[in-house]
Amino acid sequence: MIADERRSLIWWTWVGDHLDEIWQRTVEHVQIALIAIAVGCLLSFVLSVIAVRFRWTFKPITRVGSILYTIPSLALFGLLIPFTGLGLLTAEIALVSYTIFILVSNTVAGLDAVPAPVKEAADAMGYTWWRRLMTVEFPLALPTVIAGLRIASVTVIGLVTVAALIGNGGYGALINDGLQRSFPTPIVIGSLLSVVFALLVDGLLAFALWALTPWRRRT
Amino acid sequence: MGGSAAISLVDVTKHFDGALTTAVDALSFEVATGEVVALVGPSGCGKTTTLKMINRLVEPTSGTIMVLGADQRSVPAHELRRSIGYVIQQIGLFPHRTVRRNIGVVPELIGWDRDRIDARCDELADLVGLERDLLDRYPAALSGGQQQRAGVARALAADPPILLMDEPYSAVDPIVRARLQDDLLALQATVHKTIVIVTHDIDEAIKLADRVAVMNVGGILEQFASPDELLDAPANEFVASFLGRERGLRRLALRTVADITPIAGPSVSPEASPSAAIEVMDRFGTSWVAIVEAETLHGWLSRKVVEGALEGAGAIGSTVGELPLRPFGSRVSPTTPLREALDVIVNARSRMAAVIERDGERDRYLGMITIDEVAGGLES
Repeated sequence: MIADERRSLIWWTWVGDHLDEIWQRTVEHVQIALIAIAVGCLLSFVLSVIAVRFRWTFKPITRVGSILYTIPSLALFGLLIPFTGLGLLTAEIALVSYTIFILVSNTVAGLDAVPAPVKEAADAMGYTWWRRLMTVEFPLALPTVIAGLRIASVTVIGLVTVAALIGNGGYGALINDGLQRSFPTPIVIGSLLSVVFALLVDGLLAFALWALTPWRRRT
Repeated sequence: MGGSAAISLVDVTKHFDGALTTAVDALSFEVATGEVVALVGPSGCGKTTTLKMINRLVEPTSGTIMVLGADQRSVPAHELRRSIGYVIQQIGLFPHRTVRRNIGVVPELIGWDRDRIDARCDELADLVGLERDLLDRYPAALSGGQQQRAGVARALAADPPILLMDEPYSAVDPIVRARLQDDLLALQATVHKTIVIVTHDIDEAIKLADRVAVMNVGGILEQFASPDELLDAPANEFVASFLGRERGLRRLALRTVADITPIAGPSVSPEASPSAAIEVMDRFGTSWVAIVEAETLHGWLSRKVVEGALEGAGAIGSTVGELPLRPFGSRVSPTTPLREALDVIVNARSRMAAVIERDGERDRYLGMITIDEVAGGLES
């Protein structure tokens, strides 16, 4: 009897008994993901500004970013563990490094797509370089920047599950647990909640773009 | 001009890195305060580069540019630019800001408060002929002509003494362009800015500018003169060919009927007898006569009608004023450009146009003009 229920996709009794653990894993997952996304944004913004200001740095920055992006996450953990050990720092370094390529490429592409006459007008009106970047170019690049942020966020939220392998918890811990015991329920719950979280963040970012760019709406 | 020059270029040269030819070559000229100067020439003549050197969007390779009496390099570029309005063909309004916030860009940069900026935007909208309703829309909702007006309003927002315009009207259709040009002239009559306008359209230059700088490929100034001088005496073959055909007609467009003296023409008073009218027609060699009384043009009579009156009634004591007058159709006013007046004259069977001045409610008749008077206008 019990063995049969254990093999079904979701054994609700287990779910009911483990709500605390599921909540705990949710908090961990959200924390790891949001830190990675926030640090990734900050770092990518700085790198994008450097890439735009000093054009020659654009290629090296994206080259390094793309190499980081292509390293399999497990391998990257393996490479980092000798230096940063098992734990949150290693996970965050890996996750952040995955965001750089997407965020920098999209931010620079968005800034480049700002129409030349708009930039010329801003210069001619007496904008300083920094002010032009922050109040004219960046707002106009937002659609592309946020498109990149959506891809990066969804990628990171999925990858956080892998970070459980080096002991950081999150939904990955549920999935691991299920895999080790050939017990489907935690695997399904962990995956499902990770997907829901990713979709939620994606939706929020789409809404944020809509709210931040009133000029793109038809009036 | 000397001290009153708002802008003066001294030996300004621009050579772009990697370019085979010089963009602007040892250019020197002055723009007086309140003057409108047009830079014209074929593509590659450096007119836009010259304009952009004035507000340092392009830095000269050598030479000096004085703006309002000071070397333009004596202040940071962004500060210099806040005192120089700038209008470009593609307008370059910020798509993410409402028209109001676009117009208020420079006041905002120099730290005006919100209320003052808003009041200034309303004032500017009226000045450039932009409906105030449009101020709270985004630029994408405006037509090309409206965007161009918003662009001019933005350039004038902080009341800069100098306005630079780079082919401001080439992107709009000819009808809108003509209106925007007229509006700019009307605007200039109230704001008295020092304006430098770049155009490839010689007619636009002639219409708008007090003086025109004709430039040749490689940034060489071929002639710098008033439109009239330019059309009357082009300095060389290049200028002449750039000005094109119909130079005489274009000069006529610069003058008005008020610049020439009308003649009396074949006219008699309403009290004149038919035989006196015939005598006048004989003298002028015309088959018609105008009936004029104390600065009022009543109309005209054909020779046939006057002769008929003479025969029919035998008519001792009858006057031409009693005959059926026909209205005089070919009319011009003192403000009519001579080019238009010429058109009226060649289209009139009489080969004359009556000069009528609207004086309040009354039309004052000043005389007749023929092709001779119009042509004579070019001599003055």
